[in-house]
Amino acid sequence: MSAGPTQPRSEPRPPVRHMRRNPPIAGEAEAIAQAQAGDGESFEILYSLHKRRVYSLCLRMLGNVAEAEDLTQEAFLQLHRKIGTFRGDSAFSTWLHRLAVNVVLMHLRKKGLPQISLEEALEPSQEDGPRRDLGERDLVLSGSLDRVALERAVENLPPGYRLVFVLHDVEGYEHNEIADMLNCSIGNSKSQLHKARMKLRDLLRSGQRKEESVA
Amino acid sequence: MSNTRDRKSMNCAEFQESLPELFESGANVSRNEHVLGCENCSALVRDLEYIAAQAKLLLPIHDPSPSVWDNIQSAIRNETDHKTRAHTGKLP
Repeated sequence: MSAGPTQPRSEPRPPVRHMRRNPPIAGEAEAIAQAQAGDGESFEILYSLHKRRVYSLCLRMLGNVAEAEDLTQEAFLQLHRKIGTFRGDSAFSTWLHRLAVNVVLMHLRKKGLPQISLEEALEPSQEDGPRRDLGERDLVLSGSLDRVALERAVENLPPGYRLVFVLHDVEGYEHNEIADMLNCSIGNSKSQLHKARMKLRDLLRSGQRKEESVA
Repeated sequence: MSNTRDRKSMNCAEFQESLPELFESGANVSRNEHVLGCENCSALVRDLEYIAAQAKLLLPIHDPSPSVWDNIQSAIRNETDHKTRAHTGKLP
């Protein structure tokens, strides 16, 4: 986003705000209270309100529709079991997202990282990490990136990078919220996000190179 | 911004080391003194800002299939039945 023409050039830009993450949802508070009291229809309302975002998170993390649907189901079953413990200390969607993130992480550990801690899951091996860019400028992404290419590159990120990138850059969570969700430090979340963007750049540029060599 | 280091004197490695902090500070990174004098880091910053901007366009995907809700309902019903049976079984 560029600064407006009347803004002094030296003035720092305000941080980009993501406004779509927790917009007030009409009827949500009532549905939560009634679902906590055991009302099935209210629970269905909560499912309708949040199914898309929970499913999107699962699908982006797993890249597989069947698995993403299974985990969406598991996340909402856990919500049904735990909704009585929601006290409103954070936004409901943040609380639900944390629950969904835990379901995804548990699944990833079962799949391939059985002994690994969250901190380790968030720190991919050296060869999976981004390279520093200290020269050899060849391709500039700006203006040439389509959503399909970006989705594909996100799919190819190591899981720890992917999770922080999706939560921050796609879904608009702040680092303190991500740190809370993932039980990691704010600094760790920031560092993972930066590495994720760097790795994405590597992936997108190598994709561009392949396309150019085919053409 | 607490970091008062003279960024002009940074080399590329040092600048890239400080990038996460610079992005999070909300500063206009593309106006950073090192960036203004370095084509390579300028392109890097432009790409990273572009990736972050494009990421915001990725949501939403779409809804899960209706069978997901059917399965949730069925699992909730089973859990409720199981609890009821367990509770009833304890009664004299």
